Amino acid sequence: MKKRSSSSIFVLLFAFSLMCTAVSPQSHAAEDTTIKIGILGPFSGSLAFNAGEMKKGMVLALDKVNSEGGIFGKQIELIYGDTECKPDKGVAAVKKLITSDGVLAVGGGYCSSVNIASTEVANIEKCPEVVAIAISPTITRRGFEYVFRTSPDSPMFLNGINRWVEQVKKPKTVAFFMENTDYGRDGEKIWSEESKKIGAKELDHLYFEIGDTDFTTQISKLKGLSPDTTFNIASTTEAALIQKQARELNFVTQWIGVGGQFTEAYFNMCGATCEYAMGSSLEPTLNVKNPECAAFVKAYAEKYPGARPGIFSGQGYDNLMVIIDAIKRAGKPTGDLQKDRDRVRDALKTTDVKLSQGEIKFDETGQVYTVTPSVVQVQLKDCRPELRVIFPPDLATSEYQSPKPWDQRSCK
Amino acid sequence: MESLLLQQILNGTVVGSVYSLVAIGLTMIFGVMKISNFAQGDYSMAGAYVAVLVFAFLPGWLGWIGSLLAAAALIGLLGVFTEKFVFRPLLDRSTDIDIIMVSIGLFILLENLALLFFHATPRMIPDPFGGATIRLGFASTSVMRLVCLIFSFAAIALLELFLNRTKTGVAIRATSENRHAALLMGIDVNRIYGITFGMGTAMAGIGGVFYGTLFAVYPMMGVMPTLKAFIVTILGGMGNLRGAIFGGLILGVAETLGGTYISMEYKNAVGFVIIILVLLIRPSGLFGRRESL
Repeated sequence: MKKRSSSSIFVLLFAFSLMCTAVSPQSHAAEDTTIKIGILGPFSGSLAFNAGEMKKGMVLALDKVNSEGGIFGKQIELIYGDTECKPDKGVAAVKKLITSDGVLAVGGGYCSSVNIASTEVANIEKCPEVVAIAISPTITRRGFEYVFRTSPDSPMFLNGINRWVEQVKKPKTVAFFMENTDYGRDGEKIWSEESKKIGAKELDHLYFEIGDTDFTTQISKLKGLSPDTTFNIASTTEAALIQKQARELNFVTQWIGVGGQFTEAYFNMCGATCEYAMGSSLEPTLNVKNPECAAFVKAYAEKYPGARPGIFSGQGYDNLMVIIDAIKRAGKPTGDLQKDRDRVRDALKTTDVKLSQGEIKFDETGQVYTVTPSVVQVQLKDCRPELRVIFPPDLATSEYQSPKPWDQRSCK
Repeated sequence: MESLLLQQILNGTVVGSVYSLVAIGLTMIFGVMKISNFAQGDYSMAGAYVAVLVFAFLPGWLGWIGSLLAAAALIGLLGVFTEKFVFRPLLDRSTDIDIIMVSIGLFILLENLALLFFHATPRMIPDPFGGATIRLGFASTSVMRLVCLIFSFAAIALLELFLNRTKTGVAIRATSENRHAALLMGIDVNRIYGITFGMGTAMAGIGGVFYGTLFAVYPMMGVMPTLKAFIVTILGGMGNLRGAIFGGLILGVAETLGGTYISMEYKNAVGFVIIILVLLIRPSGLFGRRESL
């Protein structure tokens, strides 16, 4: 009957779509033939590009170690959990990695709001979680002994910018335009304190949600207020759209962000429009005096011809290498998962390796303290955007440029 | 002398006109076929990707006009196809839940197909005006936004003309008013369903090109347009075309003004507050009882 066959078409369609819904491949490898590491990240949604960059850095590390024979004669297997940058999805993903997939440790982790929640779960489940990118200080400040972070937290990222604001820019008026997440609000707190310290007037605090595409309301309001400096914590897509819409509305300010937005996708999306934007970055190409970093940049260019190693690829690479290094030093897995996880946690505490960000050592809270981000500004060369270190003077490769009105800019 | 109020009203009108386009499609489909199409925003997403593909071959002005035509045509055809094979077999069932479930399934399918073929990286549709801005005395905006506004109104005007002045258009309105009477009048109702669904998705496709130009293109982008379209149709009255047009503009302006003068953090909540108020005070929507199109 026609109706029957149509309803079976529907059932087939639905089943097909359910199959497609799985973004990350499920691995059902037989027990003990691989060493399993879980990786969290927002692999779908507006942050997907950034998570992909992190993944590329990790896959570079993975292939390097696996091609040299893996660890203890076993290949390393990465199992990905898509958090969609939503805490509820992140908790579900990490629970699955820890309990169902039985990973030895969890790495990755991009969104602060997600990782504040996931690290709590990991600590309760007594599984080491080594956060790669998320910068909220809360992640490592709750006394969780199973939680580590291979990248600086927001105070460390913002420290350099704060010195620059105090010594060079000295704005009279500031405004805040933040992502409405822990990532954005943590930075807002730090910069608000800094503004009070230097006596700058805080004109307004505005917010947006991840996935928002229309910022004209907030930008129009900012334009009316004319702040010298606008602190803007955003990720790639939103940051690029904000720059574009600021231009459409003829709004000029000194944009200061963190640096997570300065990815290849960001520069492709906004091009010359993002000139003068500033941040605090761990972009590997800025640091090639460090031999490990130079080696990473070279290996990345060989593995991904034409691609540029951004901040997240470097952080992803270092994150996985630190986990692998700890697993090696923990000793051959005994088969008792909890025992093995505890040994990995103990090995992580004594980490001392040199990777693309510099030297990686953890303090007693599990936070890396030996990595220093650089203060950068987007400047144009032949109308193409580049990141340049502008502070402190002894490390700077370029001078600070004050933003010009739109009609005076030569590059469109 | 620029005015923040007028600037925000302009901003809201531009965004609202795009909401209207997608909502018009939704309300037409509901009005004629009683289908709540949860995949409506994903037809917009498909339209945006059509534009991305057209721009790969045809840059500048030509590319943009070509994208609009291609999106209308291709997404319209996609609509006709999905109506015939996915929705029509279910139309005789008594519960609406089946139809809603199918449209949700369609939405998941379309999103994941886009993820499969285009990957998650967001893309921009190039601005054929190169980011040029225009000052309208009281406010500024980009030429692109102004063009989107004008084209949205043009598309809506064309649709109104079609529905009022052509035989098929009148047949669509008749079917939405009373399906059985339409059948008795000799109208081929199945053909009308196909055309209506196709036009509804074509409007969504055009809306998608605007969304993609003003904002960004990525597989999950359909969620917001669907949500806004539902808010607009509830505001304007389900099945009411005028309601969808004005409802979209009202929502756009309410969001920007609410964000500016009440609280920026709750800008997105404005739409939901509107729905609650409408359903409490005037459930049939601002524009009265469900009328035919």
